[in-house]
Amino acid sequence: MSDEAQTPDLSGGRGFQTVRERLYHALFFVCALLSVLTTLAIVIALLTEALGFFAEVPVLDFLTGTRWSPTIRPVEYGVLPLVFGTVMVTLGAAALALPVGLLTAIYLSEYASPRVRSILKPALEVLAGIPTVVYGFLGLVYLTPALSVIFPSISTFNILSGSIIVGIMIIPMVSSISEDAMSSVPDSLRNASYGLGATKFEVSTTVVVPSAVSGIVSSFILAISRAIGETMAVVIIVGAQANLPEASSIGGLPFVSPTSLFDQFLEPGMTMTVAIVNLAVGDIATQSLAYQSLFAIGLTLFAITLIMNLISDLVAQRYREEY
Amino acid sequence: MSKDVTQDPETDSEKLISTDVSTDDADGDVPDESQVRTVIESQDLDVFYGDTQALQSIDLEIPARQVTAMIGPSGCGKSTFLRCINRMNDLIDIARVEGELLFEGKNVYDDDVDPVALRRRIGMVFQHPNPFPKSIYDNVAYGLKIQDKTENLDQKVEQALKRAALWDEVKDRLDESALDLSGGQQQRLCIARAIAVDPEVILMDEPASALDPIATSQIEDLIEELAEEFTVVIVTHNMQQAARISDKTAVFLTGGELVEFGNTNEIFENPESERVEDYITGKFG
Amino acid sequence: MATDTTTDDGFGQVSRVKGVVFEYLTLAASLLGIVSLAILLSYVSYDAFGLDAAAPAWYVVFLLTLVAPSAGFLWYVRDRSTVRSSISGVLSVILGGTLVALGLVVVLSIIVGPDVWFAHSLFILGPTLALLGYARYVDDSAVWAGTAAGVWLFVGAVLTAIDDLLLVFGQQLASPFDLVTMPEELLLQAAILLGTPGVYFLTVLVPAVVLADRYVASRSNDRRGHSLAVALVLVTFAAVPLVDTVPAVSRGSWLLVVVGFLTPLGVYVALNAADSDSRLGLAFPLVVLAGLFAGRLVVDVLGVARPEPWFDWQLLTSSASATPADAGLYPAIIGSVFIIVLVAVFTVVFGVGAAVFLEEYASSSGPVGKVTRFIQVNISNLAGVPSVVYGLLGLALFLRLLGMGAGTVIVAALTLSLLILPIVIISAQEAIRSVPDDMRQAGYGMGATRWQVIKTVVLPEALPGILTGTILALGRAIGETAPLILIGIASFVTWAPDGVFSRVTAMPMQIYGWAFYPDPGFRHGVVPAGVITLLAVLLAMNSVAIFVRNRYERST
Repeated sequence: MSDEAQTPDLSGGRGFQTVRERLYHALFFVCALLSVLTTLAIVIALLTEALGFFAEVPVLDFLTGTRWSPTIRPVEYGVLPLVFGTVMVTLGAAALALPVGLLTAIYLSEYASPRVRSILKPALEVLAGIPTVVYGFLGLVYLTPALSVIFPSISTFNILSGSIIVGIMIIPMVSSISEDAMSSVPDSLRNASYGLGATKFEVSTTVVVPSAVSGIVSSFILAISRAIGETMAVVIIVGAQANLPEASSIGGLPFVSPTSLFDQFLEPGMTMTVAIVNLAVGDIATQSLAYQSLFAIGLTLFAITLIMNLISDLVAQRYREEY
Repeated sequence: MSKDVTQDPETDSEKLISTDVSTDDADGDVPDESQVRTVIESQDLDVFYGDTQALQSIDLEIPARQVTAMIGPSGCGKSTFLRCINRMNDLIDIARVEGELLFEGKNVYDDDVDPVALRRRIGMVFQHPNPFPKSIYDNVAYGLKIQDKTENLDQKVEQALKRAALWDEVKDRLDESALDLSGGQQQRLCIARAIAVDPEVILMDEPASALDPIATSQIEDLIEELAEEFTVVIVTHNMQQAARISDKTAVFLTGGELVEFGNTNEIFENPESERVEDYITGKFG
Repeated sequence: MATDTTTDDGFGQVSRVKGVVFEYLTLAASLLGIVSLAILLSYVSYDAFGLDAAAPAWYVVFLLTLVAPSAGFLWYVRDRSTVRSSISGVLSVILGGTLVALGLVVVLSIIVGPDVWFAHSLFILGPTLALLGYARYVDDSAVWAGTAAGVWLFVGAVLTAIDDLLLVFGQQLASPFDLVTMPEELLLQAAILLGTPGVYFLTVLVPAVVLADRYVASRSNDRRGHSLAVALVLVTFAAVPLVDTVPAVSRGSWLLVVVGFLTPLGVYVALNAADSDSRLGLAFPLVVLAGLFAGRLVVDVLGVARPEPWFDWQLLTSSASATPADAGLYPAIIGSVFIIVLVAVFTVVFGVGAAVFLEEYASSSGPVGKVTRFIQVNISNLAGVPSVVYGLLGLALFLRLLGMGAGTVIVAALTLSLLILPIVIISAQEAIRSVPDDMRQAGYGMGATRWQVIKTVVLPEALPGILTGTILALGRAIGETAPLILIGIASFVTWAPDGVFSRVTAMPMQIYGWAFYPDPGFRHGVVPAGVITLLAVLLAMNSVAIFVRNRYERST
């Protein structure tokens, strides 16, 4: 049936085309590889300089030191005041953005008409699209003076104003990811609840939110991670004064009274990101300890945000698997 | 045979098909077995998707210039078999093929076979009409352009549209978007696109299942005409359609098993296996 | 059914009070952030436009001449979607055209320079376009032309690079390259003879007008394309005496404005002028413009106190200064545009390349699949790395390791490219993923190779989505500050950059630098005006992105 002459030649035999295909394959692969190289470069850059730093300053001293003074003598590299400042700003921002973002997500997913949603969603995205340096300026020049009407003792540079601004910035992060999770709750669940005579409020709070909880948690973690890494707004609003609240000791454990903690919100502070920028704008010599300390904080920051992003990814995967 | 080649160099399909095959019997009457040449032949073909076996040791011979129908319940592997023929399964990462599938006596799964070269000789029409979002003209010219067959482009496009019985409907608006056509017209355009490059075989994966009855009957008429020039392999879940248009029928049943293969009228009138009879008479599936 | 069913007749009522309160609570939460931002930004505008100096009568006049007619116009067409989409379209084209014109001026007259542009455009672009045009219009079957054009782009660039090096080294190396680059030397001389406007007319305006003509002709059946082309050329020449009266705009820049701004606007008008509803939409900018002029006229006649805006021509055209009245953003604007143009080139090439690999080439199983998944996880994590860490990367990699100059254009562009690359990749992937698989199957079924499917099916379909995502990512890059601080970008540079290795400042850096000045002239004057400038650029970029997306959604 198929003698020699009839056997078709299916080898392609198009040298030009084959070469072209391989070339493009390789080119596109190189493009994709670039992102891996970027990560590698970040890790190597941070690690080499940070290791040089930790050779001089023991890791334990860095992590438990209570004074941050990289350039002014006596030079000390204690990261705790920076961690404290970061935690304060982040806490304040989270206290604003998490509930507001969650309620926004519920409104968008359960109550808003399609027309309202089509206006609200892009408007919320605008909040995330404003450059952070603009937010910083808004906070310093307009928000802080406004707050001083309520809190006369507030400083020109303060944590409270920074928290509010960072909070506004991360609202869309919470709301958009949470809304995605809520929208992917199947209607059959809602219908089951309606069928039992539940009101819309009951359906939203007892069915939709619990079902979307992993997505919501994931959005919270991402937003907090974003707040920790936020730089410009905090640099401009919060100032650059590495503070730790005074701690009294109760039963051997350090204790900070809630009122003095709240007073800290009205004071300037310094976050990890502010410390990086402050060192960078100052004139510091390459390979000096101060220069290397930049990368030590950078590494800490990178590690914290990376871990939070990974956790958020893991949590988010759960809700994707559920439906 | 060689004479035919010199007489008609235009059509690729002519070269490989003996002229003494009776081709005008698309209505299911039995052609003379000895004279029909086999174009595609599978030998002990197994297909796996990951750990699931989709086809079990399929042996099948598809004759030239006839319509061969593959029928069976959904999930029986009939589409999988079709996609093995032009190696579209290569595009699915987890698909794995064992055994041989011969096209003109050449195993298409040999290492030296380029699936792209193979697909240029075996055209395909899909379940849902999938014209490109380009003009009608550009859709038909697409295959010719990528295969560098661009001499007399206008003429070839016109020819293909005529053979697909679409020319009269679209000749005044070749520059309009193909997406403005009706579903049935789109599917005929896809057929025109496939035959424009003169393939030897046309594979059709439930080409009429997304169409209304009138468009379906137009497509069916077209398929019968196409069988005069091309070898047509069609997958369908519509048994009446298979009975109407095919010369040969292969019945696949759940689990990827080829249960029966033979002349269409024999299969429908007097199936050998009880399971096939149950399926054809609608007891299951 | 529920506890508070009180009556026997009918089904009774279930209390909704809690639900209603909750609904309004969620609504209030949704508006909180938006309203706060709106309040803060209105303060900024108030300062930037110096509205405190305006008399109440000024507000009344502009309310009557500008706000009322515009609002009335919009209210009149509120239910006619064609008119509305035409309005948003023409506004996007105006905003986007302004950006493109600005970009052209920066790239062609500041970065490259007219003589070098002339030589390179004829030496590299000329042959390339000729090849492509030959394949497109003369010989349909010349499939090799595309590849040849690509090769020539590369060869031409290499040759000119060698040529530039030879020039740098004083040409003491008498080499065979002289023969190759001799035509370019001649072209350089020719460029000097032609003068800047002549060069732009031949190499930019003429091709752009021809292109606009062809494009309009392909979309409409009458001769509107030709009328457009003639009108554009006439306007170009007719306006020259007028342009000469504005010292800040040279004749060369005017030609680039025609190309970047008037040509797209003309194309949009030509394509939409036939339909009466669309034509009505095109009138909206005229209503606004007329309102502005009328208001100004009335204010002049009445002698009403006007606002004293900080956001004005002086701000856009002068350099940084320590006195608020003289301070301007010119070097920062040029610097930002320069950086963004380079970032756009880097990220589009590598971002789309990576997205194509991940969506079209990478398999999901086996060892290759593992690598792919790793790359994917890696990209999404990179998108979450704080921007200041990218600054550290730029500092360690480009400044310390590679020894590039601190605060230069190239370092800023590379650092910001790395920063937004993950975002570009992810959005390009989404765009590519949204191309229906049917289309790919059809391509493969026709015997297309993978590259052919990508080139002829996937990329054309995904292009609008890719563009939208890229523009939005570029918007992020243009507002970034923290990485720029770390790579030593100064906030006080008084001249615009003239090459990729020169020192540069950028708009957000300038705002950061000024933010701490206690002088109210900065705090409530220059800085708000700078903020408005930056936001205006962002608004223009976003509206272009939305315009592209909407057109794309309508066509599918």
